[in-house]
Amino acid sequence: MFPGIYGFHWSPGFLIFLGVFYSVLMVIGVTVGLAVWRAVKAFRSDLQETIRWKSDFQELSPQDRTCRHVWTGEFKQRVCENQFECWDCAEHARLTAKALPSDIRVEENFQATEDVFGLEVPLDRFYHRGHTWVKPENDGTVHVGLDDLGARMMPDPEVLDLPPVGAKLKVNGIGWFMKKSGVAIRVLAPISGEVVAAGGPEQGWFLKVKPEAGFNLRSLLHGNELRPWFLRELDRLQSALAVEGVGVSLADGGVPVRDLGATHPKADWQLVCDALFLRP
Amino acid sequence: MDRGYMVRGVTRSSFSKFLMWILPWTALLALGLYAAWLCFSRGLNQTHMDNRFAFGLWIFLDLTVIALGAGAFFTGFLVYILKKEELKAVINSAVVLGFVCYSGAVAVLMVDVGQPLRAWFTFWHPNVHSMLTEVTFCISCYLAVLFIEYLPIILKNRKLRQVPSFLVFEFELHKLMVVLAGVGTILSFFHQGSLGGLYGVLRGRPFAFREGLAIWPSTFFLFILSALAAGPCFILLTTWLVSKISRKRLVRPEVFSELGQISGILLIVYTLLKTVDTLVWINGTSPARGFPAYQYYQWKPFGTWILFAEIVLFGLLPAVILLSRRLRAHRGWLLTAAVLVCGGVALNRFVLTIQTLALPTLPFDRFLSYLPSWQETAAFLAIVAYGVLVYSFSFRYLNLFPQERELARP
Repeated sequence: MFPGIYGFHWSPGFLIFLGVFYSVLMVIGVTVGLAVWRAVKAFRSDLQETIRWKSDFQELSPQDRTCRHVWTGEFKQRVCENQFECWDCAEHARLTAKALPSDIRVEENFQATEDVFGLEVPLDRFYHRGHTWVKPENDGTVHVGLDDLGARMMPDPEVLDLPPVGAKLKVNGIGWFMKKSGVAIRVLAPISGEVVAAGGPEQGWFLKVKPEAGFNLRSLLHGNELRPWFLRELDRLQSALAVEGVGVSLADGGVPVRDLGATHPKADWQLVCDALFLRP
Repeated sequence: MDRGYMVRGVTRSSFSKFLMWILPWTALLALGLYAAWLCFSRGLNQTHMDNRFAFGLWIFLDLTVIALGAGAFFTGFLVYILKKEELKAVINSAVVLGFVCYSGAVAVLMVDVGQPLRAWFTFWHPNVHSMLTEVTFCISCYLAVLFIEYLPIILKNRKLRQVPSFLVFEFELHKLMVVLAGVGTILSFFHQGSLGGLYGVLRGRPFAFREGLAIWPSTFFLFILSALAAGPCFILLTTWLVSKISRKRLVRPEVFSELGQISGILLIVYTLLKTVDTLVWINGTSPARGFPAYQYYQWKPFGTWILFAEIVLFGLLPAVILLSRRLRAHRGWLLTAAVLVCGGVALNRFVLTIQTLALPTLPFDRFLSYLPSWQETAAFLAIVAYGVLVYSFSFRYLNLFPQERELARP
């Protein structure tokens, strides 16, 4: 095994065999060591939230990762491989070169609201695919809230665990937690920044955030993307509600009620919420 | 009761049903552990092996499970190095199967050695000219690699991934999986080959002895090829079996077909080379040692049927089925072929282990028969039980089949 140990010879056979063996051991050791070192580095750089999202994203089904440009008809089929981080996507930049959502200015007193199968979708804000919205304010801060579908998934939560004022949010990291009737939801933060105020369902918004410098809204949905996206989300909701083995059944009309969970006592509501709030 | 530990979006049987399932396997494992304890405390006289018949059921088991476990390194190679994305659907299951096979093989080797506390001798004082030394080193290293590959799958458990350090480590380790897949491929290539070479270099056993390339007898290459062909079929079979038992759709039908096709290509190459090797052995190698090949097949029950079965029934026939798109598309044919391939690799390892040792080679030698003792059988079954238990727990709590959740959706 080593020079000096009984049986060791300085012969080509020994040197080749043990040389290969030690090289393999070294590669295995270095690989594990590198993983540990990178993990420690990630911890020190406070990248846990980013890694959690990347890990969660890989677990999402291709259906859940459909590119936003599919809804607008720019692609027939395309799966996002970029963690919904459109600001970093060359294809998105190409397609939106003429009018970036970040360039869109919200007009004052802009009150238009779209009705999507009974869901109220105000058009003055930007939507995250985890069912939150961001509404830019004139003072440079943004309000963050749940969209109408998200709110109907869990109206009047029994537990609302909002980050304290001063807390730093990371986009696609954990925004806040809500709990009701044993069902817990973690809501993804739609924006990076510092929490400057906390609200709640009564206020119509959950957090007031000062966005971090250089943050743009390119990853968030806006304008003509919203209707097809909400329609698809309603489809996903129906799929998640369908009893295993039965399949999606046709709805008999009507609009989503205020407390969707209460009307589906047999459904695994935790599972349904996880699906809609992008928790794999 | 344990729902919170399971993968989101998939369903499993009730905990009581699961307990009922694991109970008999645990009992079998306990019996095997008792048999192993007898071997350790009283010695290898608890087996029916002796100095003349030194390889028995356990070595047969080792060779077979290591061949079947080749699916782990081969699938890793295809997914991470050749980027065959569609096989990601079974890579986690393949790793668990590989880990079960290799750890089971090492465990039974510890009993077979008789004095496991001295197992380190082979590392500390290696005979670098021995194929067995290469096998020992490679299998030990590869088991470590398999454990490291298994680790991220465990750390991705729904509860464990809530621990931030586990999640981050798993994420970083997974990014380096390509390196481990490469190392695993090299290690597996050599130990699969050396296991075959082990028999090919037995000059005193003309039934097994083969000529070859440089220092490697032909069995070195045939073992690699047969393991490569059997690995995907074993994954295919286990996936189908688990799917049937759990009554869940685990992978898309294309994955089965892909595994079958890969296996078919390798199997036809193996069958051709095995045929050439057998012809060379019958007409050259064996007569040159003074043993006409027909002599070996006069000892019943090892007749020429065994040769026919190895090459035609378990080689050519499944290869033709797996290479035919039409037959492969038919689940019954595909599974029949997979059973034949796995059976074929087991038969090949049986022939080289048991038949080689049973046949007389010296004038005063006699044909030996061997039947394993209950302790050997119990230890053998304990490895099977161990495998079933590890796989059952993994299937229940880990994400072995990433497509399952999507296929469960209406």
